[in-house]
Amino acid sequence: MSQRDLAAELRASRVTAPDEVREHVRLIAAAETAPPRKFTWRRALVVTLPVAAAIAAAIVFTRPDHQQRVVHGVVVTTPDRALDKLDKLGAPARTPALQAQVGAAGSTAGEPKAFAPVPPRGRVVQYDAALSLRVASPTAVSAAVKRALRIATSLGGFPISVHASTQAKSGTADLTLKIPRQHVQEAVARLSALGTITGEQVDLQDLQAGINATNREIARLQQTLATLRAQPQTPVTERKIAALTARIANLQRGTADTRRTAHYATVTLHVATPQRAVHKAHHGPLHGLVVALRWIGIAAIYVLALGAPALLLVGLGWLAVRTIRRRRENALLSRP
Amino acid sequence: MTFAQAAEEHLDDVYGYLAWFTGDRAAADDLAGETFERALRLWHRFDPERGSARTWLFQVARTTALDHFRSERRRTRREQLAAVPERYEERFAEGLAADLQAALGALNAGEREVVALRIVLDMDANSAARVLGISPTNVTTRLNRALKKLEEALSVAA
Repeated sequence: MSQRDLAAELRASRVTAPDEVREHVRLIAAAETAPPRKFTWRRALVVTLPVAAAIAAAIVFTRPDHQQRVVHGVVVTTPDRALDKLDKLGAPARTPALQAQVGAAGSTAGEPKAFAPVPPRGRVVQYDAALSLRVASPTAVSAAVKRALRIATSLGGFPISVHASTQAKSGTADLTLKIPRQHVQEAVARLSALGTITGEQVDLQDLQAGINATNREIARLQQTLATLRAQPQTPVTERKIAALTARIANLQRGTADTRRTAHYATVTLHVATPQRAVHKAHHGPLHGLVVALRWIGIAAIYVLALGAPALLLVGLGWLAVRTIRRRRENALLSRP
Repeated sequence: MTFAQAAEEHLDDVYGYLAWFTGDRAAADDLAGETFERALRLWHRFDPERGSARTWLFQVARTTALDHFRSERRRTRREQLAAVPERYEERFAEGLAADLQAALGALNAGEREVVALRIVLDMDANSAARVLGISPTNVTTRLNRALKKLEEALSVAA
């Protein structure tokens, strides 16, 4: 029998399912319910494309605003909250160990006055203030430096360091001033009028508790000294008296130093022209898009660098699994 | 096309394929029911753009039959009946000559299924390849080998 005849005979012998199998399958098919929604690429694209477009648009349109905010140096801390904090700190009886650090928001053109809390009266407090100002031009930087020095001297203070640098279109200056503590508020207010405030920080540290402790120690030592002096003077007693006297003198010198240091507040002033704003003027309307594309490119390179080997491993694993499965299947089906 | 329509239309083909593949009508009866139960569960995955319902049902039937073969092999091993395998009378289709029936019994399951798909059920090489999970060239090679083996068995019998 040829292969052709063989095939013809085999084809003629079609098998039909018995009635009971047919009935069983009909019963199974009768249980069919509405199919659940299928995932298709078309459906996925309908959702993905608008979302991607919205994200891209958000990046393009929101990025320049964000830069603007950075340029103006807006800080999140609200002055109101800072005020509340310092109102509490202003009562020395309630808070003997006073320590405060306040960062104030950059003021806008409408609010030129800087925030400077009142140092608590009757207590020794170390007062540090830092002020960042923006001025329009390099000439204004020089003028601001001169005026800041004049303000410091007029209030009985003096400069510790002055660094100024100006170029054709930009300039910066950093000044550290010592101002008598009772005039620090006035100094900060007058300095803040030299430009637009972009940042401000005030640090208050109470030193009174330490001084009180030292005074108590001195009193105790003086009492001991008086007792020793009342005793008959021997070489040992004399040595003790000398040591105690030196110790008391040291402590008194330390207290005096602390009081002297705290008499002056340190005010750091940073004056600068808006350099970044000049840069920003060169950015075109599609700058945000360019930035977004650059980040997408970087992400794509990372995905390729990390994804390609992973993909290769997955592919090799898949091949190995398929080969093993085929071999097992062939072994299973090779039995007669 | 609904599942009920596909089942009604292709039941005989699926049953025939299972009968040829297993060489056991009783097993084919059970496996047909099992195949359609499984197909109903997986019907939401059927995509007409990727292939016909017939091809898809054959794929499900094949998976069901392979599971059956595996469980049979495990059962045989467990019962240690490998040395004396349980023989059933192989009857692939009505109207086949006795010598052809005997020659078909000499084929293994893998060869029988390719004969069933390509010749008895008249499936094209690509669809058969999709059912078997191999390339169309492999299908043709496997079919030629099976037919040659049949031919030899028939000539020996003659």
